[in-house]
Amino acid sequence: MIGLISYLTFFLTIALILAIAVLGLNLHWGYTGIFNGGVAAFFGAGAYGLIILGGPDRAGEFGGFGWPFPLAMAGGVVLAGLLALIVGLATTKLRHDYLAIATFGVAVAVESVARNAEFLTGGAKGVRGFERPLEAAVGNPFVYSLLFLALVVACLAAVYWALERTVRSPFGRLLRAIREDEVAARALGKSPARIRLQSFILGAMIMGLAGGLYATFYAFVSPQDILPILTFQIWAMLIVGGAGNNKGAILGTLIVWGGWVASGWALTRYAPVDWQLYTGTIQYILIGLVIVLTLLARPKGLLPEELTVSTAVAPNEAQSNLSETKHQTQQ
Amino acid sequence: MIQSLFDGILVGAILSLGAIGLTLMMHILRFANFSHAELLSVGAYVALVFDGAFATLAPFLTNKWGALSATTALALATLLAIAIAGVTAVIADRLVFKRLREAAGPLTMVFASFGVALIMRNVIGLIFGLQSIHYSNEIAFAVVVSTDPFLLVKPDQLFVLALALVAMAALHVVMARTPLGFALRAISENPSLAQVNGINLSRMVTITWLIGGGMAALAGVSYAVTNHLSPVMGRDLVLSLFAAAILGGLGSVPGAVIGGFVVGLASSLALLIVPAGYKPAIPFLLIIIALYVRPNGLFGEAR
Amino acid sequence: MKNFKLLALPAFAAAGLLLAGEPAQAQDCTQKVGAVLPTSVDWGRPIAETAQFAVDIFNEAGGVKGCKVDMILRDTQVDPKVGVDAAKALVDLEKVPLLLGAVSSGVSMPILTSVTVPSNVMQMSCCSSSTAFTAVAEEGKTNGLWFRTFATTRNQAAVAAMLIRDKGYKSVAIFYKNDDWGQDIGKLVAADIEKLGVTVTANVAINDGQPSYRAEVTEALKSQPEALYVALYPTEGSAVLREWVSLGGTQKMVVANSLKSDEFRDAVGLQYLGEAVGHDSAPPRTDSAASFVDLYKAKFNAEPNGPGLPNVFDAVMISLLAMEAAPELTGDQIAAQVGKITDPSGMTFFPNADGLKAAKDALAEGKALSYTGATGAVKFDANGDVSAPAVAWTFTDAGTAESQYFTIEDVDGFIGSLGN
Repeated sequence: MIGLISYLTFFLTIALILAIAVLGLNLHWGYTGIFNGGVAAFFGAGAYGLIILGGPDRAGEFGGFGWPFPLAMAGGVVLAGLLALIVGLATTKLRHDYLAIATFGVAVAVESVARNAEFLTGGAKGVRGFERPLEAAVGNPFVYSLLFLALVVACLAAVYWALERTVRSPFGRLLRAIREDEVAARALGKSPARIRLQSFILGAMIMGLAGGLYATFYAFVSPQDILPILTFQIWAMLIVGGAGNNKGAILGTLIVWGGWVASGWALTRYAPVDWQLYTGTIQYILIGLVIVLTLLARPKGLLPEELTVSTAVAPNEAQSNLSETKHQTQQ
Repeated sequence: MIQSLFDGILVGAILSLGAIGLTLMMHILRFANFSHAELLSVGAYVALVFDGAFATLAPFLTNKWGALSATTALALATLLAIAIAGVTAVIADRLVFKRLREAAGPLTMVFASFGVALIMRNVIGLIFGLQSIHYSNEIAFAVVVSTDPFLLVKPDQLFVLALALVAMAALHVVMARTPLGFALRAISENPSLAQVNGINLSRMVTITWLIGGGMAALAGVSYAVTNHLSPVMGRDLVLSLFAAAILGGLGSVPGAVIGGFVVGLASSLALLIVPAGYKPAIPFLLIIIALYVRPNGLFGEAR
Repeated sequence: MKNFKLLALPAFAAAGLLLAGEPAQAQDCTQKVGAVLPTSVDWGRPIAETAQFAVDIFNEAGGVKGCKVDMILRDTQVDPKVGVDAAKALVDLEKVPLLLGAVSSGVSMPILTSVTVPSNVMQMSCCSSSTAFTAVAEEGKTNGLWFRTFATTRNQAAVAAMLIRDKGYKSVAIFYKNDDWGQDIGKLVAADIEKLGVTVTANVAINDGQPSYRAEVTEALKSQPEALYVALYPTEGSAVLREWVSLGGTQKMVVANSLKSDEFRDAVGLQYLGEAVGHDSAPPRTDSAASFVDLYKAKFNAEPNGPGLPNVFDAVMISLLAMEAAPELTGDQIAAQVGKITDPSGMTFFPNADGLKAAKDALAEGKALSYTGATGAVKFDANGDVSAPAVAWTFTDAGTAESQYFTIEDVDGFIGSLGN
């Protein structure tokens, strides 16, 4: 029994960390229509940022600042935001597939730097030695894993709450307006480029937060953690769950990640002995089938976008709300 | 330097060949089909099976064509591979993409294509094993074209370059001069209006898949001849193909060919500037720069 | 080329035999052990096959404490998230006291720090080579639960340098796999041979899964080296060397043990590998010298050529013997017995069915064992690392043949002579 709880705690920790990244992507794609193909880059920026800023000294390599955990985490999130600012400015004119391939290129470049720039990122062997916050103080690994899950849940809840509030605000309405018809939004005197950039940076920072939590949990990060498969996994979670619906994003994460690992478990348990060696390959076929069948059955995801009515507000109040949101995103 | 330029063009020719089919599919069917690259693998492995069968049934077909690695057996096998890959593409459409086209947006189709790609790739891995194999284990030697500047070129690669250029010309003529081409372009511009004008949408979609699958098989065999076959060959190629198609501008056949050359050249010349470890990133950085200047690719139009 | 069927058939046949040929002794109980290996990757599947093969032999000899060993195999997909989850599920849900794997250091490391050490499970990897594990062990963070049967990169690089020295090559270009193992060994070999006065003309990283390696090959070719050092896996290795040979590059080369593979030999062609010499950790110098090779051939009808196969065989055997010897099946108690299995003063034996039975009898009498398996007389240091004697080998029609033997003293002496 304790084993089951221990495993479920572990599973939920990883799944909910991924869910945070999926929420970030939902802001990009679900609410703003930004086709971000480089999720792994922002996730990686958060992970590497945290572990370099908060980790111990590594002989002959950059880092070893040993910042306290909250500061190091903030550093990682800011790094992801800065990366998004640069990428966002470079790709303002791109849409659809063009934007996807450009952002994908950013992810390849980030992975390349992580793999090769040994003085900065430790190279292919990764960075280790990070001390998880309060681990020594707690002592018991099982209790610590429960506490860590609580931290992840708290972060997820905070992000969820902030996003729900944002998308129901006039700013959220503006995002959807840009997603649906950019020309019309511009005709109404809005600045789509600027709003898109804000959404892009905000979403990337959420992905950076997920990356930071991920690196904290493993106390280790290597280029293998930020391969393109991660971007694919995050996207699959959003599409299966339902783009434009934050609850769907979380549900999709649990289902896709659960299916991903459960298929491996089921195959080792139920596949005949002479197929055991092929289970890895068969598992990929199952994952492919699950994605295709889910999309065929529920093309808009399990929980499609809800029609949102933004709270009716007086014009001047809307203005102040908007500037407030802007102010927040620029921090 | 001269060698790197030639290498870039010749390696790029394979990407060009693969990107031609992809750019047409993405333009006409309006979604980024990630399973396209797996059709390259399907074509290459189908050709492997028939090449082996022909070589056993009729050994006289295995004589090489001059300096090339190609044989009559492989050429015949390739024709069958083109047909079978085309049919595979149509089947995938019927089973998956057609239904989604009616029910959901393009991005749902993109993700379904990821799923289809996973299935195709791993089924090939189950049947043929995961290791890389070759049509012939003999190594095709490069020929010294000039000693000053020193220049080595492989005949097979020149053949692929010629093939890419011929395919580009042929498809360009079809698209620009024939009723079929007009119909396909009409579909890509405005499907509803095209149907109003009596164009059979579902027939055109089928034809597009046949062309796309066939071109993919041709590219797959070309890649397998000059490199190797492996279940992950499609995965290894997919990003370069997308890069080439998008850089050229979706829907532009000459653009795809030039896009292939640019991606090939970028990979080849990259090593003159940065260590080899960074090579995978270079074509993409180039694409970001190119798209910054031309947001719809070199020859693409805004849509 | 069309030998994929030939490769697959023996595996199926072997698995069939396995089902049919249950050990004679009735074993009602089973003991679970976990394995996390990249079975969906070309070079990973043979490693998993060999691990299962070793478990089968062990069961033939009566299993662990009279119970049949059930190896539960999970795929890592070379994705750390997937690998760690699989490990966690095996430890928490299947309650395995022993985890075999993973292959990539990037997967093994998070498993070690976040699964096996906190849960007191012994972890034995066949193939993770990163020097980072030595550092973790030195910091006392493995609790003695971590072992690997892959000789450290330091030793492998030294043997490569000795071969280059013995061949008298004056300039060498290096191709290395751009992962933790390749970066490590590429750098070490370059440093070692430069100390010997050999010029390194180019040190070229080879990334996995590139559509073409033409540019990398051209880069090395134009530096005009006299010889080549290649630290790649078979798939990329074949692609790179076919390109290299076709462009007229030198056929003088030293290659790493990862290329000891029929796939590689056939893809490049024996006629171009005549001057190639490889390095590897050595099989034992005993009467049963060829035992692992013979066992493997009898089972798979092929040479045990491929990265990590002898290593995983030894990893499984040593771990299971340690379980046999352990008073209770918990990670720390099993790990504590590893030293007793690999004690140089103990009884020497080779792990076939008979050898294992003799070894278990000796254990029952409380005697120490000197395990002498597929990679030689294995001996772990305090950090769970092995150093092994080494051999040089060449490609032959039948597979590979040993051409030279280096004792541990030879290798250590050489490393000492470099002054580092």
